[in-house]
Amino acid sequence: MADLSYAIIVASLHGRTGKTLLARVIAEYFMLSGEMPYIFDTDPVDHRLLTLFPHTTRVVDLPQVPHQMTLFDTLAKASRESRIVDLTHRSFGQFFDLMRQTDFIAEARARGVEPVILYIPDRRRDSFEAGVALGQRFPDSAFVVVENAFLGEPRDSVRSGDAYRALKAHDLRLLVPTLAPDITEALDEPSLSLSEFMRRPLSHGDAERLPEYLRRARAELRTWLLAIFQGVHRITLAVDGDLAPVADPRYSSAG
Amino acid sequence: MSVKPVVLLVGADKGGVGKTTITRTLLDYLATRGVPVRAFDTEYPRGTLKRFHPDITEIVDITTAADQIKILDTLTTSEVKVSVVDVRAGALLDTLKTFTDVGFFDLVREGEFNFILFHVIGPSVASLEEIAEVMPYTRSDHYFVMKNFINETSFFDWQPEIQKGYFKLVKDAEELTIPKLNEMAYEQAELAGIPFSTFVANKNAQGQNANYSLVLRGYVRTWLAQITAEYDRIRLVDRLAGKNVSA
Repeated sequence: MADLSYAIIVASLHGRTGKTLLARVIAEYFMLSGEMPYIFDTDPVDHRLLTLFPHTTRVVDLPQVPHQMTLFDTLAKASRESRIVDLTHRSFGQFFDLMRQTDFIAEARARGVEPVILYIPDRRRDSFEAGVALGQRFPDSAFVVVENAFLGEPRDSVRSGDAYRALKAHDLRLLVPTLAPDITEALDEPSLSLSEFMRRPLSHGDAERLPEYLRRARAELRTWLLAIFQGVHRITLAVDGDLAPVADPRYSSAG
Repeated sequence: MSVKPVVLLVGADKGGVGKTTITRTLLDYLATRGVPVRAFDTEYPRGTLKRFHPDITEIVDITTAADQIKILDTLTTSEVKVSVVDVRAGALLDTLKTFTDVGFFDLVREGEFNFILFHVIGPSVASLEEIAEVMPYTRSDHYFVMKNFINETSFFDWQPEIQKGYFKLVKDAEELTIPKLNEMAYEQAELAGIPFSTFVANKNAQGQNANYSLVLRGYVRTWLAQITAEYDRIRLVDRLAGKNVSA
């Protein structure tokens, strides 16, 4: 669909849920497709995405009104580039209050920008409750429940709760599989472009020279990235699918 | 059943309390509720209100007999039943005295006209003194205190005992809370020179699509909704129609 782009918001109620890593992988997904997504890093202190993608990232400090304007006015603008927001948990409440207040969803969609909320619950009950509330608050936005396998399943007392079950049953989901800790650490290397890593096949000569554990690491990282890329791709298809016009019966394939 | 003409004065004895802003929200509200209204901008000669609602506003010099006649004599002849007068800062008491002298309040007592006073006050104790001075002209069912939180200043400077003393002449005076609007949002709406709801709808004065900030429009939208809730709460439309509104 011409000129349709996404405003992807990666959010969670608490910190350390893997938001920034996921936002990074999604950015790399778009880059692999030949796009240059616009990234908003909402953590002015620890702006890791700015460090990773200095030319396409904007740092915004949400308590400041001019930054709010930069963020939301840009998010809602018609544009071919998709936008990704790494929403720091510290600004979780303020961001979604603003989204409500500005009627952002309606304005964005009117300009061909599809909002997609990617919500990561953690092990705590209130994170599931916040997720349910968020999906209900914005029924006109695509809402994806992210399962970050690294966080593990919560306790039985949480799993028996309504909110946990509701999010578990939600149709749009994205699984972030586990990744070995030493590989996760390697991802901290700012010069490692994941899309480049995915593009370049391992030459036979390189493979021969690498010790076994590194060869395995490369394979594991590729598998992990591929899984997430495929998940993101499926989500975009689902979001686009919801928007597809009803087929015109005059052009049926009969005859 | 013909509706009585009603005069709604918006006044403050001090400048800078946001009186004209409140009048603008009032005109916006009445337009949304489909109530025809005409407005008199007493900030003669240049006016402060007319810029935002040019089609329904006339600039007058309320100190001149000619313009007093223009307002009051046309009350019975105008098709528009609601007349809003945005009284110049510092001129509230004088305006009330003038209205007394020309017999307007006699006619209100006789049931010819209705009268409502929106008294816009700031958070200082001097405002309480203004209220005391205005008391003789008012009855509780048509007097409304508008607490405008323009600087987010707390109105809690008012000791309850002091406050009770000033309000003892007007039982259960209704207070409306006008919340603070973010300054950048206010400024952009101000610069646009259009009614608040037009700004929120992202249209310019000619009704064409504009390019105002999504975020600033959101702030104005929320602020306006809170004020609308206050006007709804006091059943302003019913009062203007002369309906009996019991507490």
